[in-house]
Amino acid sequence: MTGNVHLKRSRGNIDDAANAALLVSVFIGVWQIVFMLGIWPQISLPSPAMVAQTFAKITLNGSLPQSVGITLARLLGAFGVSITLGTLIGFTMIKFKGFGKTLNSFSAGLLSFPSIAWVPFSILLIGFDEFGIMFVVVMSSIFSIMISTYSSIRNIPTIYIDAAKNMGAQGVSLFRHVTIPAATPSLIIGLRQAWSFAWHAIIGAEILMSIVGLGHILSVGREFLDMSQVIASMITIFAIGLLVDRFVLQKLEDKIRKKWGLDNHR
Amino acid sequence: MTKLQAKNIVKHFDHNGNPIVALDGINLNVEEGDFICIVGPSGCGKSTFLNIVAGLEKPDSGEILLNGNPISTPGPDRTMVFQEGALFPWLKVIDNVEFGLKMAGIPKDERREISQRYLDMMQLTKFADSYIYQLSTGMKQRVAIARALAMDPEILLMDEPFAALDSQTRDLLLVELQLIWERTKKTIIFVTHNISESVILGNKVEVFKNRPSKIKKEILIDYRRPRLAEDENLQQYYHQILDELKSEVIARTKDDAQ
Repeated sequence: MTGNVHLKRSRGNIDDAANAALLVSVFIGVWQIVFMLGIWPQISLPSPAMVAQTFAKITLNGSLPQSVGITLARLLGAFGVSITLGTLIGFTMIKFKGFGKTLNSFSAGLLSFPSIAWVPFSILLIGFDEFGIMFVVVMSSIFSIMISTYSSIRNIPTIYIDAAKNMGAQGVSLFRHVTIPAATPSLIIGLRQAWSFAWHAIIGAEILMSIVGLGHILSVGREFLDMSQVIASMITIFAIGLLVDRFVLQKLEDKIRKKWGLDNHR
Repeated sequence: MTKLQAKNIVKHFDHNGNPIVALDGINLNVEEGDFICIVGPSGCGKSTFLNIVAGLEKPDSGEILLNGNPISTPGPDRTMVFQEGALFPWLKVIDNVEFGLKMAGIPKDERREISQRYLDMMQLTKFADSYIYQLSTGMKQRVAIARALAMDPEILLMDEPFAALDSQTRDLLLVELQLIWERTKKTIIFVTHNISESVILGNKVEVFKNRPSKIKKEILIDYRRPRLAEDENLQQYYHQILDELKSEVIARTKDDAQ
């Protein structure tokens, strides 16, 4: 039985990979055809090969890897702050009900607040530096963490809490051994959402505020009319966002959902 | 010796702003080693009563005495087997069974020893390291029973634990539960809407009257064990309880129709 499941899973993976490859080929094919039709001058729309060339160039001269490194370092730092603070505020919201309810409504409003709109505020408050960029990222993702912490804990099935109390759990140990693990599947969903907000925010902030990073090489491409570099940067941004979501966060979510028995299809 | 005493338990619920009397003065004496079955139509308040005994809900008036001492909070001296198991999916089977022991601060070696004993008793030894999603409904309820017994409670509370099982699994567990009761000499309160279950398990069956709920009748069943589902001699008790309940179900249907 286990063998079958494995076979099915690896078959599914191969199918997924084949579909992805097909989609990418079609996209590149259409792009190549549009390029050959000559609707836009080469400077506005380079061919896939030209972009690949630029991609190789900025990879080999180190500017792309360096930018990716800087962007990810900033992001991880800011996201770490966001998770830590957001979770703590979320816990406080649970502890003080009235406060929690009010803050929840405000946070929901700030959730849809465009991240780029924090940039002028951050520049004037903090400045054109690492902390200014990180501030934008934190403000763009923290509300998502707060809301998800708050609602995840509130939505824990009462039966888990009842069962735990029935077996003598209370206070800190109830919180640590039942509340947190019971809320985990839904906390992960919040984490994924916050990650996507943070990713939007860092690129936006870097375009406007930074002299290094992925967002920066994107805007350098624009300034030097180098569309190849613009597209190469965009592809990198897309790929990193996809890889982290798919191969880190989604994997984690799937694993947890399976273990928690939330996936009916096996 | 009286193990548990329910004294005039009253409980109201709020139903769209109107108070509904869920329990209207429940009095019950549970002797040490009793196997009490509470049977009644669904919605009659029998689970509410069990929750009050467990300390998970508070009565509006009346009190519960355990060994003569009033109780008001949940505690491991009255462990509950919930209808849906309420097992923790983030823990392995063995860690589920040890959960309460861990909360009580019992050292790991001792916990392992105790949990092994109850895993063996419930024939779960092979599944100690499985996760809950890997188990069938019947296995889950075995784990839930092992988990409750591992606490060595004064009294074991069971809230329709077999309601979701297929009949073969249920028949098997009905026999096993009787053997466990005889072996551990535990005092058990078992809530069910299934008359057969109550006849097979209980040495006393409390028939609950419909809203407002009271105990309508206590039926003593003194019959050899282990009792089997197919034993025809149990039919007379079955019909006695059914007669008591019939009028309740009819009354309930009328109530709901209004």
